[in-house]
Amino acid sequence: MGNATIVHVSDPDTVRGRTGPDANDRIDQHAEQRIREAAADSDFDDRLDTLDHEWNFERVIETEAAATGLIGLLLAARFDRRFLVIPGVVASMMLLHALHGCYPLLPLLRRIGIRTQNEIDAERHAIKMLRGDFSRVHDAESERRAEEAWRAVHL
Amino acid sequence: MTDMAAVNPNVTETDRVRANTSTAVTSEIDRDGRHCVEALAGENRENITRHIDQLDREWDIERILQTNMSVIALGGVLLGATVSRKFLVLPGVVMGFFLQHALQGWCPPVPVFRRMGIRTRKEINREKYALKALRGDLDQPKKS
Repeated sequence: MGNATIVHVSDPDTVRGRTGPDANDRIDQHAEQRIREAAADSDFDDRLDTLDHEWNFERVIETEAAATGLIGLLLAARFDRRFLVIPGVVASMMLLHALHGCYPLLPLLRRIGIRTQNEIDAERHAIKMLRGDFSRVHDAESERRAEEAWRAVHL
Repeated sequence: MTDMAAVNPNVTETDRVRANTSTAVTSEIDRDGRHCVEALAGENRENITRHIDQLDREWDIERILQTNMSVIALGGVLLGATVSRKFLVLPGVVMGFFLQHALQGWCPPVPVFRRMGIRTRKEINREKYALKALRGDLDQPKKS
């Protein structure tokens, strides 16, 4: 992987850090657009419900990797043990992803808009803010602010 | 899936890992998060910001499980290719459970890691946004 394409490797969200700036910007713009729409329609509950069910990047690649690895194992057991290359590569790539964030399908999946949980949660809390979930935190007595903040972020 | 939901006490959870964690362990994880927010409520902005940075770097359960699965599977594939085909059971089992985890949110190591206090990204972000609220990031824009 060439260093030239990596812009924010220090991003604690390793997947965002490994995504090109164009794809990250497009994902952010879509989120902003949806937040505007939710604000215009006051359609907060439905939007939050949709976000709760969105498949995040980790879930997508875990499903893909497990399925690919299992198919490779079956092919190796049935036909030719050279097919063991498939689960071997899948496991290596998953390890590389867990440690450094990179993954062979990352550019493709990010370009079609698969988001990290951090990105989904950012949109989620922006919508919660617009719904007024955090309004009591600001107004609360200082000793009750933590309680109100914790209540506002209910899962 | 509907059968599982019927016996599962935490069906309202949309976080699949939380839904598959015992209520006692979930409460403990939530209590730790709440205590952290309470402890930081009186602190200055810098300390809150430093804690938010730590949360961003905390390893979540997906990252732990991915590491766990890939190390065992890789070892199994290598032993299966060099020593005995019987070792291929190892990657078969861990990848099978990993697929189950991706689809349903449960696999055998999940209860172990959860009891150790490993959180989902949603749980980590929950604490993060509570702290951002305390820091004043989420104050409602004044209605005109």
